[in-house]
Amino acid sequence: MKSAITEMFGMHVYTDKAVYVGDVDDVIINVDGKKIESLAVSNLNRELIELKNFKGIKIPYRIILAVGDVVIIRHLVGSFEKKED
Amino acid sequence: MRNTFSRNLSRKKVMSTDGMVIGTIRNIMVDFKSGEVTDLVVKPEQNFDTSNYAIEGDKLFVPFEAVKDIRDYIVVDRYLFSRK
Repeated sequence: MKSAITEMFGMHVYTDKAVYVGDVDDVIINVDGKKIESLAVSNLNRELIELKNFKGIKIPYRIILAVGDVVIIRHLVGSFEKKED
Repeated sequence: MRNTFSRNLSRKKVMSTDGMVIGTIRNIMVDFKSGEVTDLVVKPEQNFDTSNYAIEGDKLFVPFEAVKDIRDYIVVDRYLFSRK
């Protein structure tokens, strides 16, 4: 199924444990690999990710489980601190 | 490995390897399941002859395989997606 990339902008991101992560702000494309590299997510859930000097996080596409009305990612316990960018 | 923000690409001009301006990028088609980027949706320039290309409405679909590089312009090989 082909979809327009602009449909993703503003989508809510949840984990598979139904925890809200944030909203999709931008999509990072790997030009050589012709693939989506990661999603830039902002408007983050403060209880999940502590914001220091950054506005958002990058979520690698490999942990994304499904994209529909919302984005579902794998719930990785304790991994959110490492993903800041 | 070159990565680019998709919002950065909006309104960028699409140019062919032989120096012709094809049009302006409007959208990018992706497969959400695999994460694969399939096509660029391009609004062709008025003087660009679209008769040999896959066109839907007024939008030109450029397969991502034809993309050579993305810097100030998006450079595509137009022989890779023309019907001739």
